[in-house]
Amino acid sequence: MPELKEKICSLKEAAGLIKDGSRITLGGMAVHNHPMAFVYELIRKGVKDLTIVGHVSAGDVDILIGAGCVRRVEMSYVGLEEFGPAPNFRRAVETGEIEIAEYSEPMAFERFQCSARGQPFFTTLEMLGTDLPKHNPDIKEVVDPFSGAIYQAIPAADPEWAIIHAPMGDRYGNILYFQNRQLPTDLDLVTSRATRNLIVTVEQIVPRERVLRFPHLNLIPRFRTTAIVEVPYGAHPSSCLQVYDHDREHLKYYSQVARNPDEFKRYLDSYVYGVKSHMEYLNLIGAESLVKLRQIGGYL
Amino acid sequence: MTGSKPSIYEVMAAAISRELRDSENWFLGMSTGPQTILLLTRVPIVGMSLAQHTHAPNSFMIVAGWLMNPEVGEVPTHMESEFGTALQDWRCEALSNSLVLPYSAARGEIDVGFGSAAQVDKYGNCNTVCIGDYHKPKVRLVGPINQPGHFSLFGREVIVIEHERRNFVDRVDFISGVGYLDGPGARERLGLPGGGPFMILTDKAVFDFNPQTKLARLKSVHPGITVDEVVAGTGYTHDYVPREVPETPSPSDEEIRLIREVIDPKGALLPR
Repeated sequence: MPELKEKICSLKEAAGLIKDGSRITLGGMAVHNHPMAFVYELIRKGVKDLTIVGHVSAGDVDILIGAGCVRRVEMSYVGLEEFGPAPNFRRAVETGEIEIAEYSEPMAFERFQCSARGQPFFTTLEMLGTDLPKHNPDIKEVVDPFSGAIYQAIPAADPEWAIIHAPMGDRYGNILYFQNRQLPTDLDLVTSRATRNLIVTVEQIVPRERVLRFPHLNLIPRFRTTAIVEVPYGAHPSSCLQVYDHDREHLKYYSQVARNPDEFKRYLDSYVYGVKSHMEYLNLIGAESLVKLRQIGGYL
Repeated sequence: MTGSKPSIYEVMAAAISRELRDSENWFLGMSTGPQTILLLTRVPIVGMSLAQHTHAPNSFMIVAGWLMNPEVGEVPTHMESEFGTALQDWRCEALSNSLVLPYSAARGEIDVGFGSAAQVDKYGNCNTVCIGDYHKPKVRLVGPINQPGHFSLFGREVIVIEHERRNFVDRVDFISGVGYLDGPGARERLGLPGGGPFMILTDKAVFDFNPQTKLARLKSVHPGITVDEVVAGTGYTHDYVPREVPETPSPSDEEIRLIREVIDPKGALLPR
């Protein structure tokens, strides 16, 4: 058989696929599973005018906004959970720097399932009476052709690119997950099916033999994957569920410095612009902090 | 231990418990910021568990949308995040790790939800989106999250909110949770399937809604709190104070024992 196509590449090469003005989605939910190393690479690359279509976002979207990479966000939430509001998101909306389109959380999830089903829109009653349709022209009223009742039509998420972070995969782009999962991981699986342009960063590249022995863990077969990048601790300071927890100390620190634009700029200078590689970033965080976060195979 | 004075959080939990019935499904999301996590996550968990231990053993408590009937006394965390390893280790009766959930809000299978907001208005409309004009907000908040569904699809909603004047307004700046909109009949005209808010619970008092006018009204003040204090901390301008305002009933000795010895033995949920 001819050689299989290798899809492994560097962070820089993968980030090079994202052009100014792209419509992208970043995996993860709340403080979990965000492809942060990829996000930092996008910032170093200086990408502009992104539209980020998401559901429950946190530091991933906040730091991209703060670095001036974002034009528009479609979401139900941008916040840092126990660490309070997302400061750059808040500032950018208050000053009108970015455009937003808001949906309720289950509807924001459903937009990705809708894309994955290959449908253009779906209908709901969920946001009737709220002010969301007033300010989001993409929520439109439709008549149920069967009953004549009024529903709200919601467009599919339809990202051009999806970038997610996962525990492991092979050089050819098969992505393996642990058997039991939590909802954020399941949402990433939906996201992976919402587009044919998928970049996956993984904690570890494993041999193809591992895939063939555990095919039931291969939840994203390689035909879906455009590029795969090995990035240990690539979700830090968010979690990579079942590998390590989110870094509460660092997120708390981020939530404080991001409140002040000057301090935030210094944060970017140290943790993003100031490092030449992801390894340098990890050195900056420190082995001790990283090791403390480990939760290997949690929830087996 | 038993017989000692209940804390304000125990009073709140007992107030929740009394409103819950048997064979219901209760839904609790997560929240942003430590004080909201205490009021909107930790207090309702104790309230739901108290109901299960007293009169509602067949009800299901759905935490964060995916953990069902956890062993509350073993809570491994202060509930800072909806997911994460700490919650993975929490024993429970059922859990959902996928979007194939065992319940459907759209089908009306959630009887009670708990929600909070930066603003709640006199008709129980809630706002988690922005303070001020939407396009030029004075304060941008986190977003609608799951609030629309709580108020439009669930059987009834308990609003749990810190008692601060600025939180109680005549009209919210943005409706993300639909209360009674602008008065009687508005929900029915829209055809909303759910029941909407029926109670506002704060760290000082309880409000309900006048069945005729749909306006919020002071139902009781917690032990040790005066009506004047509540009025000073409430931004409503309509007449919401009845002539007689009773005290919120304190939990019984048995309820206090259950909370302190069975439900929250480690004091992990409610501050002591």
